[in-house]
Amino acid sequence: MARPEGLVSAPAIRTEGLGKVYRTGFLRRPIPGLADLDLEVPAGASFGFIGPNGAGKTTTLKMLLGLQAATSGRAWLHGVPVPTPESRRRVGFLPERPYFYEHLTAGEFLHFYARLSEVPRPMRAERVDALLERVDLARFRDVPLRSFSKGMLQRAGLAQALVADPDLLILDEPMSGLDPLGRVLVRDLILEERRRGKTVFFSSHVLSDVEAVCDRVAMVVGGRLRGQGTVRALLGETVAHVDVHAVGVARLPTGAWAASPGADLRVRLAPAEVDAALDGIRGAGGSVFSVTPAVRTLEQVLLDEVERARPVDGKRLGVLA
Amino acid sequence: MSRIVTIAANTVREAIRDKVLGSIALFGGLLVVVSLAMRDLSIGDTDKAVQGLALSAMAFIGAVLAVFLGVGLVWKELERKTIYTLASKPMPRWHLLLGKYVGLWATLMVELAALTAVYVAVTAPTLGMPGPASWIALAALALELTFLCAWATLFSTFAAPASAAAYTVSVYVIGHFADDLQRFGQASRDPAFRETATTLYRLVPNLEMFNLRAEAVHGVLVPAGELASIAAYGLGGTLAVLSVAVLVFERRDFS
Repeated sequence: MARPEGLVSAPAIRTEGLGKVYRTGFLRRPIPGLADLDLEVPAGASFGFIGPNGAGKTTTLKMLLGLQAATSGRAWLHGVPVPTPESRRRVGFLPERPYFYEHLTAGEFLHFYARLSEVPRPMRAERVDALLERVDLARFRDVPLRSFSKGMLQRAGLAQALVADPDLLILDEPMSGLDPLGRVLVRDLILEERRRGKTVFFSSHVLSDVEAVCDRVAMVVGGRLRGQGTVRALLGETVAHVDVHAVGVARLPTGAWAASPGADLRVRLAPAEVDAALDGIRGAGGSVFSVTPAVRTLEQVLLDEVERARPVDGKRLGVLA
Repeated sequence: MSRIVTIAANTVREAIRDKVLGSIALFGGLLVVVSLAMRDLSIGDTDKAVQGLALSAMAFIGAVLAVFLGVGLVWKELERKTIYTLASKPMPRWHLLLGKYVGLWATLMVELAALTAVYVAVTAPTLGMPGPASWIALAALALELTFLCAWATLFSTFAAPASAAAYTVSVYVIGHFADDLQRFGQASRDPAFRETATTLYRLVPNLEMFNLRAEAVHGVLVPAGELASIAAYGLGGTLAVLSVAVLVFERRDFS
């Protein structure tokens, strides 16, 4: 289907003040789930959506996909308003801990979703075969899903998300429950989709994976957006300090960084002190074993935000805060 | 349209591969055979009594299947979270619900056809092929199951299977006593009770309308006009109940 005129360059995802308040119990008590989310995911980006459990990540994804209604704000996928079915036309979705029809074999399962995604009949068989190959399930084509392991189900789910060759992949905790090999497979798959110019938007709390595959990140804590941008911008450019490990230093040079004398020297320096310190170590006959700049990780950034988030304006927001 | 067919086909496939369903269908077949075998043990006009019993057994099994399959129709998708991948496809939600309903309906019709085949195979050698009145009764039963499926589908959009089953069985039972409710009202001398009974009669579905088994047994052909009104009632009622189900389903949050 031809893309609507003027929407080709629209962001893959855009939200304006998106919010969700759940109502529970007989008295319909309000529970805030997400508040005022302004998000923009450029087309072609590999975008990580991070936050602790209960922060509002899955709620956001469900609202984008029309599975839950927003109680405030608006959203668009490729410029098409959510939750119209048209907005989901170029989208593939993998839910967290996916469960699928156990009575279907892997091949039947992918054919089912290919038909639902209106993959043209002549292309279906070829697409299904290629995807089974890609997620390493080709030899299990005729095996019912009920006998699949958790990791195999996750891979089948990924193939399902890719079956219509979507421009936007939305993945909810795609690495969850996978062994190291499975994680590498998923990571490679995300990187490959990015190379093909597709947008990948995925939520995760495995932050090392996010750092490895994402160029942009948004962080949500306690139902509120706490920051978004490139990974580098979020982590900050500055190096907080540098750890130097040297051996064979018989005598320490003088200076502010001096530590107790000894053959095995470990010191923490300000970045500006490093050059002088390395010269001093070598001048004293020692060898530099390692120089490690301490940069912030996404994990540290997230933990700082979690700490900063409680309480929000004297009220608790979301499940976590 | 193709998506509705795809979802319906998957629903039928799931039902066929469900062992419990197979057991119920087998039990239904046996029930029909046993009903017909009872002719040797009966006194009087045995053929008619036994024929009526077999048709009743088919109606009972059909209703059990409609409740058993229908009440979990949407709930199972929610429980297994398969709804996430289905409802996130680029289609309106009513396609999904209608696909599930059509799948359930098709499964029931296949089961009814299988039971009919058993019925014909057992009765044909001794009683001959069923006459037009029997076929009309079977068509009316198919229509009743179509209507009952719609109720089960509606309840499955907002209730867990146990509650949905209780609601559907209530509709089935009340629906078969609707005529009695009206008769009670008319027989009463109290105008208030008569009015209340008449109002209730108009509100509850009248499933007894689809019971043409006595006519089938006695070979009585129901007039065409009456058949047309039965068909209109069944199809109109099904459409109305499904419309409510769609409204409920469209507003649901899948959490």
